[in-house]
Amino acid sequence: MNAATQTGSWSRILGTLTLAVLLEQLPWSGLALALRPDFVLVGVLFWTLHQPARLSFGAAFFLGLLADFQDGAVFGQHAIAYVTGVYLVLFLRLRLLQFDPLRQAAQLLPVLLTVQLVVLLVGWLAVNPPTGLAMLLSALSSTVLWYLIALFLRLWHGKGMQDRA
Amino acid sequence: MAMPAQLMFARRLGPTARLLIWLLVGVSCVVVDARYRALDGLRSGFSLLLQPVREVMRAPADIAAELGGFFVRHRLLQKERDALLIERARLLNNVNTAKEVVRENAELRTLLQLQSRPGQQVVHAALLYQGHDWFAQHITLDQGGGAGLRRGLPVVDATGLMGQLSRVYPGTSEVTLVSSPGQLTPVLVERTGQRGLAAGSGHNQMELRYMPAQADIRRGDLLLTSGIDRVYPAGIPVARVSRVSRSQASPYLRVECLPLAGLDRSRAVLVLIADPQMATP
Repeated sequence: MNAATQTGSWSRILGTLTLAVLLEQLPWSGLALALRPDFVLVGVLFWTLHQPARLSFGAAFFLGLLADFQDGAVFGQHAIAYVTGVYLVLFLRLRLLQFDPLRQAAQLLPVLLTVQLVVLLVGWLAVNPPTGLAMLLSALSSTVLWYLIALFLRLWHGKGMQDRA
Repeated sequence: MAMPAQLMFARRLGPTARLLIWLLVGVSCVVVDARYRALDGLRSGFSLLLQPVREVMRAPADIAAELGGFFVRHRLLQKERDALLIERARLLNNVNTAKEVVRENAELRTLLQLQSRPGQQVVHAALLYQGHDWFAQHITLDQGGGAGLRRGLPVVDATGLMGQLSRVYPGTSEVTLVSSPGQLTPVLVERTGQRGLAAGSGHNQMELRYMPAQADIRRGDLLLTSGIDRVYPAGIPVARVSRVSRSQASPYLRVECLPLAGLDRSRAVLVLIADPQMATP
């Protein structure tokens, strides 16, 4: 229990989320932009999975607004999508915690895809038809990022992260 | 929807209820922003918050470019310098001709008692961030209201028209690119002088709308701003026609064009500020 509280300390949560926001601020362009994983979304979902009591809907909504500002999109577009993603992860939480990194990432792909589709749907209803389906690529790259993070944690902590489920 | 018992906290709403509440908040955000444009204050707040961060985060790319530049070969630099010298001589020649023409034009205009053309002022700006959105193409520049920018000003780079300022914050501003869906640019075909309306169709492409089926337009034609909208100065290159096709269903030609400006490459751009004289008809 002691180790668990240490893993999810506030400074660590805030640190990783700040790092995610910073990474999104890099001047991405071209193919890198299309393939860029949604760092903030992965961060939010990760902490929702491992520390649901500390971080959930409110923070996801605020970070979604931030993402909307960054893309110059309508306010609420990403916020609604992120909140939906958090709900899905909470719903699948116990299930997700049982899997090894690769299978966990594979199970997250539909969640990340749903988030992108919600962004698409809200924007479609609020603004106008979209310009193409290239943005779905970020769901794939986010899945890969999730796999890398989960793998890293597993190597770092042994099976610690999973025993707590 | 049964949730695992561990997630149920006393005196706390269940996840579904919280999801519904946040969805309600989100939907009202979308409506307030899209319909009433009432959240611009929040946008300015975010922009003030994030501007220094973006300035800092630009550093890694700059350093990489510096390092890359350091190892450029000497021979390549010499070649580039020679090309630039030739280009410079050619441009100087053009400037002299242009000066002569401007003087002549001013005299003719006074003779004809026409209103003189508005002068222009430019603001240099650099790309700060490129937006990633399904529905529009935006870039963020590192100059804002402080440098005298305002909404609606045209933005160009060395090769053509980039777009128009759509949102201006104190220290940064947002450009809607010409290829963004719904962005209209009044143009004329350089070869024939025929006027038209170029619309963005996303993904660095544009289309020329409402061209009658018998219009004289070919692949390779250059499109320039026509200047009749009082937003863009006349004669800025916008796009080149890449494909002309005829459809049975519509009375108009389908004309696809490629923007000339480096919409996804240019890092340094110019914002054109016309004199206020322009506003008075």
